[in-house]
Amino acid sequence: MSFDFMLIFNSIPRILTGIGTTFQLLFLSAFCALILAVILLLMRISGKWYLVIPNMIYVYVFRGTPILVQIFIIYHGFPQFEFIRNSIFWPIFREPFGCAVVALALNDSAYVSEILRGGVLGVSKELHEAGAALGMKAHQRFIHITAPIGIRLVIPAYSNDFISMCKATALASTITLLDMMGVARTIVAETFAPYEIFISVAIIYLILTWVYQKCFGLLEKRMSRHVKQ
Amino acid sequence: MSVLDGWWDDYFWGSVVVLQVFLVALVMMVLLGLIGSAAKLSNNRVAQKIANAYTIIFRGTPEILVLLLFYFGSGITLTYFVKLFDPTVKFVDIPPFWAGSIAIALIVGSYATETFRGAFLGVDPAQIEAARALGISNFKTFIYVRIPEMWRLALPPFGNHMLSLIKDTAIISIIGLNETVYVAEQATGTTAEPFIMFMVVGCIYLAFSSVITLTVMVLEKYANRHLRSA
Amino acid sequence: MTDDTQQPIIQLEAVNKFFGDFQALCNINLKVNKGEKIVVCGPSGSGKSTMIRCINRLEEHDSGKIIVSGRELTGDEKDIDAVRSEVGMVFQSFALFPHMTVIKNLMLAQRQVRKTKKAEAHAIAMQYLKRVKIPEQADKYPIQLSGGQQQRVAIARALCMSPEIMLFDEPTSALDPEMINEVLEVMTDLANEGMTMICVTHEMGFARSVADSVVFMDCGEIVETAKPEDFFENPKSERTKLFLSQIL
Repeated sequence: MSFDFMLIFNSIPRILTGIGTTFQLLFLSAFCALILAVILLLMRISGKWYLVIPNMIYVYVFRGTPILVQIFIIYHGFPQFEFIRNSIFWPIFREPFGCAVVALALNDSAYVSEILRGGVLGVSKELHEAGAALGMKAHQRFIHITAPIGIRLVIPAYSNDFISMCKATALASTITLLDMMGVARTIVAETFAPYEIFISVAIIYLILTWVYQKCFGLLEKRMSRHVKQ
Repeated sequence: MSVLDGWWDDYFWGSVVVLQVFLVALVMMVLLGLIGSAAKLSNNRVAQKIANAYTIIFRGTPEILVLLLFYFGSGITLTYFVKLFDPTVKFVDIPPFWAGSIAIALIVGSYATETFRGAFLGVDPAQIEAARALGISNFKTFIYVRIPEMWRLALPPFGNHMLSLIKDTAIISIIGLNETVYVAEQATGTTAEPFIMFMVVGCIYLAFSSVITLTVMVLEKYANRHLRSA
Repeated sequence: MTDDTQQPIIQLEAVNKFFGDFQALCNINLKVNKGEKIVVCGPSGSGKSTMIRCINRLEEHDSGKIIVSGRELTGDEKDIDAVRSEVGMVFQSFALFPHMTVIKNLMLAQRQVRKTKKAEAHAIAMQYLKRVKIPEQADKYPIQLSGGQQQRVAIARALCMSPEIMLFDEPTSALDPEMINEVLEVMTDLANEGMTMICVTHEMGFARSVADSVVFMDCGEIVETAKPEDFFENPKSERTKLFLSQIL
């Protein structure tokens, strides 16, 4: 068994050809998930049972099942149905990329909505009361008081979730997508050098994770400048 | 639904495999978490550095990557070593069950390390001082004062780790472990009904995670029983 | 002092409030006339805060009537909004919005609730900041101010909405002693200008000098109501005497 250090470095450029797909997957899914999560959050805090209960079921199902299974259901399972093949969404579900984005977005939105809910709960009751006493209505209080304060509170938890998303994108390689993981697996199949190739990919993921953490840290610092530490 | 006939027992045994992997990985995960947090909290610089490296590496690397690296890599390493003793051996590998269990235990163990470390630090030092002042030995203080309090603090995030663990078992299907996802893939090949087959897998996992969530809720109630106000 | 033909600006009739099984307010009857200053005192848990919080519907009373400026408080949103625009409230913990500067704190409700234009809201805000004597703090964040300054900003914030009635819920209880006076000064000035005020407080000096009437509450009931001189010199009820002996 030989350990080819050069192979680690030589394979990095080729692995990086997959980074475009990885980034597209990550940011598109995270963005869609965030939008969905806000909708879910509003449903949950609305207090109306016909909004709260669907929200709770959604969160329960998507957090209670593995993301790989969700990806497979959408990628392998959806094309089975004629009504999906005939619908306007078919171009999305026909492609592995579309399926992966949908699966990741749906899954992540469940987690992010709960994170956002934690932020909402973290805004002290008295600030709401002050807003109410001044005559502000519920939606005004949410926009001007709850959201700005809550967002700062959730940055640590959201950054952890974002990094989980970053790792989850690697699962897209199981449905033929050539993101970094997909490219890596292809190279391993060619070279039979799993250690070197997978370590290269791991190094890239670690660097990316480090960068994301630093960015979120800076964001949190910037938002906390007027707050008690 | 009749398409599932004949597959029920496969799913059943697949679920059993999931449970087995989960339990084995759980034990390893707890051990890794305890050792890792102990290393981080100790005064030994080397131990700290190793534990820090462990958490950084395994929290930042995708699960599927760790799994494949471990499975293929260990195969190559083992084969190499075994060949030293017996050159006629072609290839040795770790069974997917063990490769998978160890891989996911390593990953979730890195999160558990942080959780246990936080829980240990969260124990009120005044309680420890009070116990020692009463003459209770170091070891007994650890068992009777530190551990119960630490356990109470660690329980909610630990519940999440258990959920992560059981959901990660699905990834092991990629290296051929005959758990439920693998069964679904087989079934899809024969019946061409992927949706139902994978939905069953989803339901099985939902059932598992529900049981875990309920168990954690009960445990939390028990662990906090002394704090419930009148 | 009061005109008999004039309706009280605040009326509580047979008001009861429960938190689960616990009765926080028992058969509260209270009339406040325009321009009157009422100090409410009593031991912790006596229902003082609950009572004034029912007046601007931060708490919902379970039975009885509460009428503020001619409007009865029921579940009707319009009435609640109208009452809240007439009633200003100052909280024990100041409750300033931490993510906004002082001036923005004062402008927020004006712009959102009254739809006042930015320039006008700014002018009104500065006017009230001057009145509470800290106009130079306009662009600071709450965290940069002392407790006394924050509470004065909170008073200004409520005043920017031109309320007819000001409610104070233990406004000085969270302040370090040296800052209590600056807040009481502002409240005294306000009282002298004719504002209708209900003030839950332990500051008996303030009660003596400013209040038209002192209301003593215990266990959710109004035990005794009297003019300050009568209340402090000749308390009628045993419970009042006990309370006074503990705090004076």
